[in-house]
Amino acid sequence: MANPAASQSNGTVVAGQYVIDGSRPLPPVGGSAAFAVTDQLTGRNDLMAVRVQRQFPPRPRPLQLLPSASIDGLLAPVAYGSSPVPGAAEEACYMICLAPPGPSLLGRPRPWPEPELLECVLRPVAHVLEHLQLRGLTHRGIRLDNVFQSRPGQPVVLGTAWAAPPAMAQPALFEPPYSAMCLPAGRGDGSIADDVYSLGVLLLCLSLGHGAMPQLDDAAILHRKLEQGTYAALAGDERLPPIVGDLVRGMLAEDPEHRPTPTLLLDPASARGRRLAARPPRRAQRSIPIAGREIWDARSLAHAMAVESEQALHALRAGTVVAWLRRGLGDALLAAHLEELVRHRTLDALPDDSNGDATLVMRAIALIDPLAPLCWRGVALWPDGIGTALAAAQDSDPETIARLEAVIAYEEAGNWAAVRAERCDFAVLRVEARQQHAWLQNRGQSAGVTCLAYLLNPLMPCASPLMGGHWVARLADLPPALEDAAGKVDRKQAAPVDPHVAAFVSARLERRLDNELTSLAGSEGSGVACLAQLRLLSQLQSRFHSKPLPALAAWLAAQAGPVLATWHNRERRAAVAARLQVLVDEGYLAPMVVALDDPVARSADAREAEWAVAELGRIEAELGQISSGASGRAAMARRLGQEIAAGFGLTALATVLAVAALG
Amino acid sequence: MAKRNAANTTAGSRDRAQPHQHSLVWLQGLLCGALVALATPTALLLGVLLGPAMLALILDRQQGRPRARSIALCSLAASIDPLRALWMTGHSIATATALLGNMRTIGLAWSAAAAGWLLAEVAPIAVRVVLEALSASRAARLRAERARLTEEWGLGSAPNDQ
Repeated sequence: MANPAASQSNGTVVAGQYVIDGSRPLPPVGGSAAFAVTDQLTGRNDLMAVRVQRQFPPRPRPLQLLPSASIDGLLAPVAYGSSPVPGAAEEACYMICLAPPGPSLLGRPRPWPEPELLECVLRPVAHVLEHLQLRGLTHRGIRLDNVFQSRPGQPVVLGTAWAAPPAMAQPALFEPPYSAMCLPAGRGDGSIADDVYSLGVLLLCLSLGHGAMPQLDDAAILHRKLEQGTYAALAGDERLPPIVGDLVRGMLAEDPEHRPTPTLLLDPASARGRRLAARPPRRAQRSIPIAGREIWDARSLAHAMAVESEQALHALRAGTVVAWLRRGLGDALLAAHLEELVRHRTLDALPDDSNGDATLVMRAIALIDPLAPLCWRGVALWPDGIGTALAAAQDSDPETIARLEAVIAYEEAGNWAAVRAERCDFAVLRVEARQQHAWLQNRGQSAGVTCLAYLLNPLMPCASPLMGGHWVARLADLPPALEDAAGKVDRKQAAPVDPHVAAFVSARLERRLDNELTSLAGSEGSGVACLAQLRLLSQLQSRFHSKPLPALAAWLAAQAGPVLATWHNRERRAAVAARLQVLVDEGYLAPMVVALDDPVARSADAREAEWAVAELGRIEAELGQISSGASGRAAMARRLGQEIAAGFGLTALATVLAVAALG
Repeated sequence: MAKRNAANTTAGSRDRAQPHQHSLVWLQGLLCGALVALATPTALLLGVLLGPAMLALILDRQQGRPRARSIALCSLAASIDPLRALWMTGHSIATATALLGNMRTIGLAWSAAAAGWLLAEVAPIAVRVVLEALSASRAARLRAERARLTEEWGLGSAPNDQ
C-alpha cells in the first residue's frame, strides 16, 4: 500500500492522490498530529491524514484489509505512505483515513438517555466490531475522544486506531486491567472482547454523563479495578438505566470469555438476558504487604508481584505468599500448586541464575491470576505486543529492551503459555517464541534485537541516524536515503551499512543476502566487511533503484581502502583504484564490485604474489651467501692464483724447451 | 666416541702415507746420488742454479708446495740454456765451473726463481680482487631486484645491508 509520495505547491501528496494541507491542522488523534486532506482525483475532502510516529509503527493488518472494506461507522484507513513534511526538510509517514463527521463524544458531557445509547452507540459500534471480528481484526481505540457523532441522534462513528500500536493511546479507564497494566506499546492486538470492554466503559461514561473516576490517575484506576472488579469500581453507587446497566455489567466482566460478543450486542435484549454470574474477587481475611501496599485479593497480589518482582521473589522463597494463599485467602489448591512450583525451582536452582528467579515469579503470577499478561521483571506485555514494544523502546529505553530480549531469549512466552494453556493457544505461542528466539540467535549479537524489531514490525522505518529525515520503510527507499546521507557524513569514518541498516535489510529481504550480512556482522572495518556492504548495496541498487548513485558510490569507494589493500601488486592496486574512481562518477555499484573482486585477476594476483615471495626468499638467501662467502672466495682465489702461477711456470718451461729443441 | 673414531682414521691415513713418502724420499735420494755419481757437472750446475728452488721446497710447508712448485718451474726454465751449453761443450767440471762463474747465468736463474715466487704471491691476490668484484656486482644486481619486488608487491621494507 505504501506508495511514492511527491510534493506539490499547495501541500504534499501521499499515494499520488491525496494532498495533505499542512495549513489545516485537525485535532490530534491519539497524540499524533492530523491534517485535512483532499483527494486530487475525485475532489473528495472528507479525509484526514494522521502522522505516524517513527518509534510507533502502524498496524499492518488493518492497513492491508480495511481500505477495501466498506464498514459504516468506522474511520477506516484509505491509504498510507510517506511524504515530505510541509514546511520542513524531512519526510513523515501519513495514514489517510476518513475524517470525523463531527465532534467527539468528549464534548457532550450530559447523561445520555438509554434509547439513544442503544440506538446511536451500542448498535452502530457493535456492528463495526462484528465486521472487524469477521476479518480477524480489533479496534482497540474506543474511548470518549475517539468516537464521533455528526449531530445528536445520529449513529456514532469509531475513530481511527491504525496509525500506532494497538491500544497504545488508551487510558487505563477504557482498557481491561490486564491490558492497562502492560507497556503502552506492548498491549498487542488483543481480542474483540477487549473492544467490547471498552465499549462497555464508553456506555457507562455516556450514561453517567461524565468520565468515571475522573480524580484518579491510571495506576489508581487499575488498582481499584483489580480490587473491586471493573463494574463495581466504575459504577460505584451510581444508578444506570436497567438495560444499559445489565449490558455494561456483562461487557465489563474481567474474564474476556464472559463478555458478550458483538453479534450478541446487536440484539440488546438477548445480550441482557445472557447474564453470567460475575463473582467479585474473593477477599482475604488478612492482608499481605507487597510493593508498599496491603493486598487483600489474588488479582491484586499478582499485579503487585508483577510490579515488584524482587519483593515477590523474596515473598515466594520465604513462603509468605503460599501461607497467605492457604490461610488468608483459603485457596489451598492454589497454595499447593505454588508451593510445588517454588520447591521445583529451589531444587533446580543454579547459583546466580537470576533469569530462573524471574521465570519463577512469572510462572507464579500466571498461576495466581491466569488472566494476567506475561510479567517479567517489572515489565508486563501480551506476547502479540512484543514486536511493537521492542520498536517503542528501541532507542529510548535500553533497560526495557534488555528485559524484552531476555523474554525472547528464554522463550518466556512459551513458558507463560504452558502455565495457562487453557486460556491461550499454547502450541502457537510456543512455536512463535521458538521462532523469535531463533531469529535472535541467527542475526548476531549486536543487531539481534534490532533485527527482530524490524521483523516483527513490517511497517517500521529504518531508525539509522544515517536516514536523516527520510522515512525508509521499504528497501526501495533505502538507496536514495543513503545517497542523500553520503553528502552529510564523514565518508572515512561512518559506514553506509550500520547495524540499523544491516538489521533493516536483513529483516526486509529474503535469504539471498544473508552471506553478505553475516560477513558484515563479524568483521567491521575489514576488507571482507567493505566488500560485503558494497555487494549488499549493489544488489539493492540493481533490484530497486535503477538510477545512478554517485555520492553513495564515492562513499563506498572511500571505504574501500581495506579491500584495495588486499590486492598484492601495487601497480594492479593502483589500476583498480583508478578504475574505481571512474566507476564512482558513473554511480553504479555492481561494476565496482566486479572491479574490486574480479576472481580471475585476484587469482593471478595471489599466484604472482606467491612467486614474488619465493623470489624474494631466493634473493635473500643468495645475498646472505655472498655476504658470508668471503672466506670461501679467498680460499678459491688462493687456489686459483697458485694454479695460475704454476701454469705460468710450466708454460715458460715448455717454451724454453721448445726453443732449445728447435734451435 | 665419534671424536675417537675420527682420530683413529686420521692416524691410519698418516701411517699409510708415511711409507709412500719415505720411499719417494729414498727414490729421490737415489736419483740425486746417481746424478752426482754419473753426471757430476750437471749435478753441480743444477745444484747451484736450482738452489733457491730447493730452498723453497724445504721451506714451503703448504700442501702441494705451490710456491716451491712455481719457483722450481721458473728456475728450471731459466736453467735449460746453461744446461744445454754444458752438454754441448763436453760436459766437464771445468765448463760447469765456467758457466757458474758467469754471473749472468746465475743471476738469470735466480731472478727467474724470484719471479716464480712473486707470481705465486701475486696471482692469488689478483684472482681474489676479480672474484670480489664479481660478487659485489652480483650483490648489487640482487639488491636492485629485491627493491623492485618489495616496491611492486608491498612485501615489507628492504633491509639496509649495503
